[in-house]
Amino acid sequence: MITFFIALPLLVVLILNLLPRKQADALSFWCGMALTVVSGIYVLMAPRPMTSDFDPVNLVLNWKIVTSDLTAVMLISIALVVFSAFWVGRYLLEDENRQFIFNNLLLLCMVGMNGVVFSQDLFTLYVFLEIVGASSFILIALERTKAGLEGAFKYILLSFVATVLILSSVAMLFMVCGSLDYEAVRICLTSGTLDENTSRFVLFAVGLFAAGLLIKGGMVPFHGWLPDAYSSAPTPVSVLLGGIVTKAAGIFTLIQLVRNVFVFEGVSPVLLVIGTVSIAVGAFAAMGQSNFKRLLAYSSISQIGYIIVGLGSGHIIGIVGAILHLFNHSVFKTLLFVNAAAVEKQSGTVEMDKLGGLSNKMPVTGFASVLGFLSAAGIPPLSGFWSKVLIVVGLWKAGAPMAAIIAILLSLITLAYFLSVQRKVFFGKLASGLEGVKEADFRVLVPTILLVLITLVIGLTFPWLFDTFLVPLESFL
Amino acid sequence: MMIDKVWVNMNVNSLLFCLVAVPLFGSALLPTLGKIDEKLRNIVALALMVFSFIMSCVILPGIAEGQNVEFTLGGVTLFYADKLAIFMALVSQSVGCIIILYSFGYIKSYEHRNEYYFMVVLFLAAMMGLVFSSNILWIYFFWEITAIVCWRLIGFFREKEYVIRADKAFFVTVFGALMMLCGFLMVYSQTGTFDLRGIREWCTANGSISDIAVLFILFGILSKSATLPLHTWLADAGVAPSPVTALLHAAVLVKIGVYVFARLLVATFIINEIWFEIVPWIAAVSALVSACAALVETDIKRIVAYSTVSQLAFIFLGLSAGSDVGVVGGLLYILMHGIAKAGLFLCAGIVEHETHNKDIRKMGGLVKTMPVTAVSFALCAFSVMGIPPFGGFFSKYMVIVGTVDVGQVAVGLTFVAGAFLTLAYLLRVFTLVFLGASRAADDGHGQPHEGTPIMVFSVALLAALSLLSGVVIQPSFQFAQNAVQQMLSR
Repeated sequence: MITFFIALPLLVVLILNLLPRKQADALSFWCGMALTVVSGIYVLMAPRPMTSDFDPVNLVLNWKIVTSDLTAVMLISIALVVFSAFWVGRYLLEDENRQFIFNNLLLLCMVGMNGVVFSQDLFTLYVFLEIVGASSFILIALERTKAGLEGAFKYILLSFVATVLILSSVAMLFMVCGSLDYEAVRICLTSGTLDENTSRFVLFAVGLFAAGLLIKGGMVPFHGWLPDAYSSAPTPVSVLLGGIVTKAAGIFTLIQLVRNVFVFEGVSPVLLVIGTVSIAVGAFAAMGQSNFKRLLAYSSISQIGYIIVGLGSGHIIGIVGAILHLFNHSVFKTLLFVNAAAVEKQSGTVEMDKLGGLSNKMPVTGFASVLGFLSAAGIPPLSGFWSKVLIVVGLWKAGAPMAAIIAILLSLITLAYFLSVQRKVFFGKLASGLEGVKEADFRVLVPTILLVLITLVIGLTFPWLFDTFLVPLESFL
Repeated sequence: MMIDKVWVNMNVNSLLFCLVAVPLFGSALLPTLGKIDEKLRNIVALALMVFSFIMSCVILPGIAEGQNVEFTLGGVTLFYADKLAIFMALVSQSVGCIIILYSFGYIKSYEHRNEYYFMVVLFLAAMMGLVFSSNILWIYFFWEITAIVCWRLIGFFREKEYVIRADKAFFVTVFGALMMLCGFLMVYSQTGTFDLRGIREWCTANGSISDIAVLFILFGILSKSATLPLHTWLADAGVAPSPVTALLHAAVLVKIGVYVFARLLVATFIINEIWFEIVPWIAAVSALVSACAALVETDIKRIVAYSTVSQLAFIFLGLSAGSDVGVVGGLLYILMHGIAKAGLFLCAGIVEHETHNKDIRKMGGLVKTMPVTAVSFALCAFSVMGIPPFGGFFSKYMVIVGTVDVGQVAVGLTFVAGAFLTLAYLLRVFTLVFLGASRAADDGHGQPHEGTPIMVFSVALLAALSLLSGVVIQPSFQFAQNAVQQMLSR
């Protein structure tokens, strides 16, 4: 596991940089393809629980690997998004040198995210979080435009604050528990041996950690960096950021820690409030945007709010829904960003006022964007519907019906802003000046069609998947 | 003998699946077929619906005898058919087939034909899925598919104004649907199941569903059936291509709400008595307000649309009055109104298509140039007005009798007034459009003439059906009565 998911990509990056540049340019893309495709298939095919026996690298490192179905979901999402980002990068970045840098950083970012998924102690987690942060920082500034640098600067600044928070929290927990291993920390915190002062101290530390993760996940009120970073980054980078980075770095880790390490029991009002406020703020802010990518960024805030709310319900169905929504969000948000990339390249802009009627000229992209947005708005028969239903049912069962109703009704706002996107960009009469636009080529249609199929198939077969795929998710809880 | 019977049963069950799944998945092939050959696509689209119709006819006798047909796949019960469901399915399939036939003539001069056929067939298939759904989550599932399709179809001409109206329709119906979903979740938390028969058993054993859940579900139903106060989207939806409006208004979309009302609030739940007082009054207000709106409108499609809002109120009244006669009348009116109103819309479509005009003040004397359309319009209008011996008369009569029977005389009288208004506005349309002298300004399109043979044939067929269904009322009446018995027996 470690060998394949962490060491091998790292090795690939090294080798690529040692090779003569001409070969490396072409090779970097196909290496990335091979790695993502094989890892996706590997996770799908591997027997559960995945074992880490006979892992040469781990024989040296001797990490304790716990793989659950949650890990599998994350690994698949990461592979899927990175796969799409590779294609979009190849499609959109014209400069070969830049493409090479992009591919390398993408691999590095993947290493970081895989590491976050695998790590079983707080310090290792911190190290991998930093790898993700550093590589995405450079990626955002890849084009070295003024906006890009500004977005990257905002990101690194807030990321830095998050780092400080997380690191001090790690230090505090180490002081109390004497170990940073997840298992050890959990036993230390839940055994009930802590006196009152120490408990308060621990609560403070946990709060700091959570705040750090919420910054990384771009949740309200720490969301300021996210729209700038997403919209100023080159679109292939937006695919990566919007699709997976904030979720792997912030939200997945939060789920993992809340459930397995800090162990919140029952409904968590703090998470519910942060979640619902994020849903509302993200959705209303998205309504006011005229830039396609920026709108998608705000929509991300809103959708991640659903994940947080599901997690905050503390009910098994809500959490399963949250995990599924995490996966679904990777799929449909990546899909929408890929559509944005196609629109950007073919028409030369992502300003919605200048666009219109593109589905006449780009039928595949137009159709895909409809499915993507319907999935995001939680409309059946697409996969996004099922995860939202699970989250709402979870909230209901956990005894938070108000939150459930707010969550349902706010998805109406999601629908509203996506309808306006459809109206301004795809549906409607062709805008003037776009007569020459053509459908994007296969480089962007490959990920588009793959993601569309995933959204549709999961949506249609969900009642059958529920027993085989989701119920086992409970195993990790 | 025994084996024979088992085999037949199995077959009937999978037929039920086919009648939904074949058009549902088949519709996705239509755009590809259209790229190969337009004619082939049209024929396949019609064939899908006819296939579905024939399947319904095949399973009909078994169900009429009281047999239960259900389809289970991999441990999940998908579809379940009883008399109410098959009644509804046959109504929408037969009207759907005629509408597709009519589209052959109407849609051929517009762009995006592939999308059109895809959407229409998908719509009808989703309707079938909804009708046969075995649990409320599936109902919601198909309910939203129809909403998506309507959104695409209303905005079909891609003009900015049309797309905004399409967004409005989508938004209102999804708002209603989300409220309904909340209601479903409340029902779930109360009864512990999403399954319709499970809920029914729970109700029989434990009493009524909570009022707030009923209220939420009612929101969804009223938004879909375009009843006051959520009716405004329907008149705006008139911008859609005409067969679409026919489909939307008359045959299927608005009937979805009515069907779910019958299915959930009448046949499945036990609800507080108070709802049988409230819903008739909502319906009464809706009937009067929309009839008055129809009386002053000048756009032919909008008039017919408002008339739909008004006539739906009759169906709601029949279903909610709380007497068996009323429910039978309501069900029959679903059928009669479906046929007659589809006819009216398709006639309006021909008129618009030929005169390039929707304003009734600028028409007149069309009976000379398009006699078949005029006669068809008149026949369908008679049915909607409730003139004997047309189908509409019997059902309206039963609805009002049913209401007066349970002592709601005031509501009954309001609806008699509503019926008079119907008479007034339909006569107004007919005189202005078809009689008198032509008031059309010469716009260079030349004299209007009769539509293409296939279009005229479709409307004539619907008009004939309106008359026939009234003259030969016995079979449909008998079936509706049986369905009501099955619905109300606990």
